[in-house]
Amino acid sequence: MNEGITPTLLILEASLPVQLVLLTLLGLSIVSWVMIFQRWMVLSTALNGVISFENRFWSGMDLSQLYKEGSQMQKENIPAVGMENIFRAGFKEFMRLRQQPSMDKEAIMEGAQRAMRVAYSREEEKLEKHLPFLATVASVSVYIGLFGTVIGIMNSFIGLASQAQVTMQVIAPDIAEALIATAMGLFVAIPAVVVYNRYSATVDNITSSYVTFTDEFSSILHRQIHSD
Amino acid sequence: MKDTFNNVVIYNGYPLSVAVAVTFHSAILALLLFLQSSRSADVMELVQPTVVKALLVQENPQVANERVRLERQQQQQQQRVREQEQAQRAAEAERQRQEQAQAEEQARAEEQRKARELASLRQRQEKERMDAEQLQREQEARAEEQRRQRELAEAQRQQEVRDRERQREREAADAAAAELASSEFEMVQSGTALIQQLVQESWSRPPSARNGMRAILQMRLLPTGELVDVSVTQSSGDPAFDRSAENAVYGAAPFRELQALPINVFNENFRSLSLIFEPEDLLN
Repeated sequence: MNEGITPTLLILEASLPVQLVLLTLLGLSIVSWVMIFQRWMVLSTALNGVISFENRFWSGMDLSQLYKEGSQMQKENIPAVGMENIFRAGFKEFMRLRQQPSMDKEAIMEGAQRAMRVAYSREEEKLEKHLPFLATVASVSVYIGLFGTVIGIMNSFIGLASQAQVTMQVIAPDIAEALIATAMGLFVAIPAVVVYNRYSATVDNITSSYVTFTDEFSSILHRQIHSD
Repeated sequence: MKDTFNNVVIYNGYPLSVAVAVTFHSAILALLLFLQSSRSADVMELVQPTVVKALLVQENPQVANERVRLERQQQQQQQRVREQEQAQRAAEAERQRQEQAQAEEQARAEEQRKARELASLRQRQEKERMDAEQLQREQEARAEEQRRQRELAEAQRQQEVRDRERQREREAADAAAAELASSEFEMVQSGTALIQQLVQESWSRPPSARNGMRAILQMRLLPTGELVDVSVTQSSGDPAFDRSAENAVYGAAPFRELQALPINVFNENFRSLSLIFEPEDLLN
């Protein structure tokens, strides 16, 4: 007898606030999945960049040679990835300061480290972009869905007030309609939570390897400047 | 190639991401719709076996006679219309043929007259002139003939158009009748389903009931939905079972919802109907 009730019909015949809530959630879901895929690409290239650059860096290649290769790549319009940017910033500053005759050794080290710090925070910013948005979606979409449910149930009770006899057949469609909003909210929130946690762990991973690299590189520079 | 790919991936992976996300959502939607449609088919298969079936019994001879009479009248009328049309067409054809014959006759008479005139004429020049005239007249006659033929074709075409229109009207009338019948069929369906459900709900089966037992009861109803009487037309062999079925019908009556039916639908279908009590869902 109630075979006519399907989720599609419920959504199409839902009241306006519930439909608005569902639309909002659909939009949030699409945008958050755009972020998820975009971040995935950015983070995986950053991870690959860390591995390949560390291989090149520790292969015993001359540092100025490495720097020149990077410049060549940039001329060919291949942008440098993460760790290489830090290396380039530090090395460039180091060479520039060293060419000035009246420079103190400590001041040269300081300058190179500062340049690397700036490059590091820029890279970190690139990696963490959009992650706050995912966090917001993860926490807020549940509430939006609940809001839709509450509005829907409220409407159904207002409708019930005018009826003398209340049967399950009268209540059921309204409540089902209201519950769809919560389901949708959860559908949006769950992937966002999972992905946010996973991506922030990955970002931590990458940034800590940047920090380690910065330290190692400055120790190399330190050795070089004191060996002269 | 590689650098453009890198550019896309690192700095603006947005178009690709948007495409992927939208595709992902539409895929989920399509999957949900698909699952839903296949699930509703499953639900249809899992319907519980009915324990009470309502059978409609055509018992009102008046109504049946009336319907037969109406049908026959309609058929006769159609037949008459068809015959009239045929007669009309035949008459028209006959008239046209006569007209043509007359025209030919006239033409022949004129020619004869002309020939006689020609013979009486002495001078050759005049004769030649006459010849020319005749030629001209013949041409005129031919033109006249062509014109008449064209008119005839026009008339035929119009007749065809009229025929087609009549055909279309008849089809529309048929469709309307079919729709009426289907809505009546739906009403009857919902009515029997309702009776079936009410009776089934109020039926408490005796412990002696077994799967495969079968009792047929006939009940008669008033247009108000009230029950006139119930009688067992085919016993199950177990008096307790028969009695419980009877009690179920008494308990379910009156069927007030039947008041909403149009009176002719009620008279044709619900005045008297058989209920088959046949438990199929018992465990033993």
